Amino acid sequence: MNLEITGLRLPLSAFALEVDARLEARITGVFGASGAGKTSLLEVIAGLRRPAAGRVALDGRVLLDAGRRFALAPERRQIGYVPQDDALFPHLNVRQNLCYSHAAGRPGHPPAITYARVVEVLNLGDLAERRVSSLSGGERQRVAFGRAVLASPRLLLLDEPLDGLDAELQQRVIPYLLTIRDEFGIPMLYVSHNADEIVALCDDVVLLDRGRCTRRGPPAALFTASPAPHYMLKPG
Amino acid sequence: MIRLGPLLRLAPLLAAGLCAGARLAAGDVMVFAAASLSDALRELAAIEQRATGDTVRLNLGASSTLARQIEAGAPADVFFSADEAKMDDLARARLIDPATRRSLLSNTLVIVVAADSPLALQSAADLLQPAVRRIAIAEPASVPAGIYAREYLRKVGLWDRLSPKFVPTENVRAALAVVESGDVDAGIVYRTDALISKRVRIAWEVPPAEGPRISYPVALVKDGGNPAGARRFLALLLSPEGRAVFAKYGFRAAP
Amino acid sequence: MPAVSSEVWQVAWFTTWVAAAGTALILAPGVALGWLLARRDWRGKILVETVVALPLVMPPVATGLILLKLLGRRGVLGHAFERLFGTELVFTWRAVVAATAVMSFPLLVRTARLALEAVNPRYEQVARTLGAGPGRTFWTITLPLAARGLVAGVVLAFARALGEFGATIMVAGYIPGRTATLSTSIYHLVQLSRDDAAWGLLAISAGLAFGALWLSELLLRRRPAA
Repeated sequence: MNLEITGLRLPLSAFALEVDARLEARITGVFGASGAGKTSLLEVIAGLRRPAAGRVALDGRVLLDAGRRFALAPERRQIGYVPQDDALFPHLNVRQNLCYSHAAGRPGHPPAITYARVVEVLNLGDLAERRVSSLSGGERQRVAFGRAVLASPRLLLLDEPLDGLDAELQQRVIPYLLTIRDEFGIPMLYVSHNADEIVALCDDVVLLDRGRCTRRGPPAALFTASPAPHYMLKPG
Repeated sequence: MIRLGPLLRLAPLLAAGLCAGARLAAGDVMVFAAASLSDALRELAAIEQRATGDTVRLNLGASSTLARQIEAGAPADVFFSADEAKMDDLARARLIDPATRRSLLSNTLVIVVAADSPLALQSAADLLQPAVRRIAIAEPASVPAGIYAREYLRKVGLWDRLSPKFVPTENVRAALAVVESGDVDAGIVYRTDALISKRVRIAWEVPPAEGPRISYPVALVKDGGNPAGARRFLALLLSPEGRAVFAKYGFRAAP
Repeated sequence: MPAVSSEVWQVAWFTTWVAAAGTALILAPGVALGWLLARRDWRGKILVETVVALPLVMPPVATGLILLKLLGRRGVLGHAFERLFGTELVFTWRAVVAATAVMSFPLLVRTARLALEAVNPRYEQVARTLGAGPGRTFWTITLPLAARGLVAGVVLAFARALGEFGATIMVAGYIPGRTATLSTSIYHLVQLSRDDAAWGLLAISAGLAFGALWLSELLLRRRPAA
């Protein structure tokens, strides 16, 4: 994939988000402390928020050009979004949640992404008729992933997907994300403040500090094991 | 910090003002009167004020509503009704001073239409024509003007056929207002009401000989707040000066 | 207790269906405006909020007077209506429906707004990213999640419409068999010193109001897990 962000500027409460980057990795990590502007960045890319200035293009297709007052509606961007609180629709059961994008009548590209396949890959078979409120934390995350994947997105945005899960559960969910990358070939933008997750999943990492991208590089360049098996940011 | 000095100097002025206010309140005469008497009584109230210093306060409305208010204990000094029945009710309840009761005025009924209405009527029966869709009338179950109208229309056999067209109003002046606004095609009010409004014209007048016997009695209400002032005002109403004012507004003497 | 006369039933029935008609009339615009106030911001929004709330705060007769000027045969709307349909608005059941609609409108907008604000915007955002346009998002996500609060609001507006007096008496008067509602009938009977008949109507009126409010409270009490 090829996500080009040029001259992005979004005023936030304490500072402004300013990003200029070209992201091409299969899974790109956005690492930073809470409040660094990570969620806002995802919202702008998804089309849920308008910046004051900037241009965003995905695979050569312009999604947003503030200078020309052009902004593609979120439903036309084909960008999946899994927010921090998974936001599963409480009034629909698991199957209805998963199929929501299909019901929306969006033609899916890669026909490889079928309901059966997603259910199999993410182990959702037993959950289909269950009410969302009866699911465990890990189950909710998998359903949220499945729902976003079934929309056949060109890019998947994940906001702290493992936040709130205990360490053991986190280890169980990470392989699913890797499967999404490999089986479905969907590039991802992965936001987290947890170094271990970033190291485990990402090929490229962007460091966001108070709205600005201060460092960039592969995980090995930015993180060091200390003490193993946990990681922390190398002083820069 | 509040400066006490100036405040203390103001105090006697305030006290005097309060006393003066209290004195004025004692001079108020509460008159409960039928709505059709509004304009005549306003003029007479002003005359009374100039002559004796009494402030006459007017509570104007349907005689039925006013009678109910007096029954419920409202502080009236004088009751001036548009029909004898309401005064009889209060007399039976011993709420008025029977010695002071006088039947003072009479009136005639007219059919009015909006001033720019093309409607022409030769008799009450012309109200049956399809061009007349709605007729305003004071509530015929309770308000004197409505009762008189019903009495007359029953007498000439038109009541049942005209009933579907009626728009009952709270008092006779409200009926007049509705005709003025153009929301109804015609209305039945007193001649005196029609005379004070430029926005209606009289389309037909019920001949006094055929019409109902209209009588406006007045009396002092017992246990009023200002019996002396009430007597003075009543005397003015009965005097030649009072009668002249009523005549000016189109009222006739009682039958 | 004396047997309830057919007259009383007629008045109760009339009051119920004009209240229902008035509520039905304001349903779509009320929810739409509630949505706008809940989800959008614009210059002059406060002005809209204030104007909409006016009938709640102004004396009903004052609102009635304004309506009378508009709906009267010489008024802007009344005249146009008569030209279009050949019949007038004031002093007919249509004016009663109009009065109840106007007086209930602010209540509906208020409760609709609260119900819609209670829906987490995240759900709507996710739906959009899954390919649903604004319309589809509203019908499949926002509305079902706000349903309880919205229905409670509608029931409340209906209850208000049942009890409407001040504006009704101004634009529709009290015409037995045509525009007499429970509240205007009670007033009329009291004027005639027929208090005991008035009590009968009062009991029905209170019963209807109680039932509607109870239902509204019930709906608002149990919230779905959000």
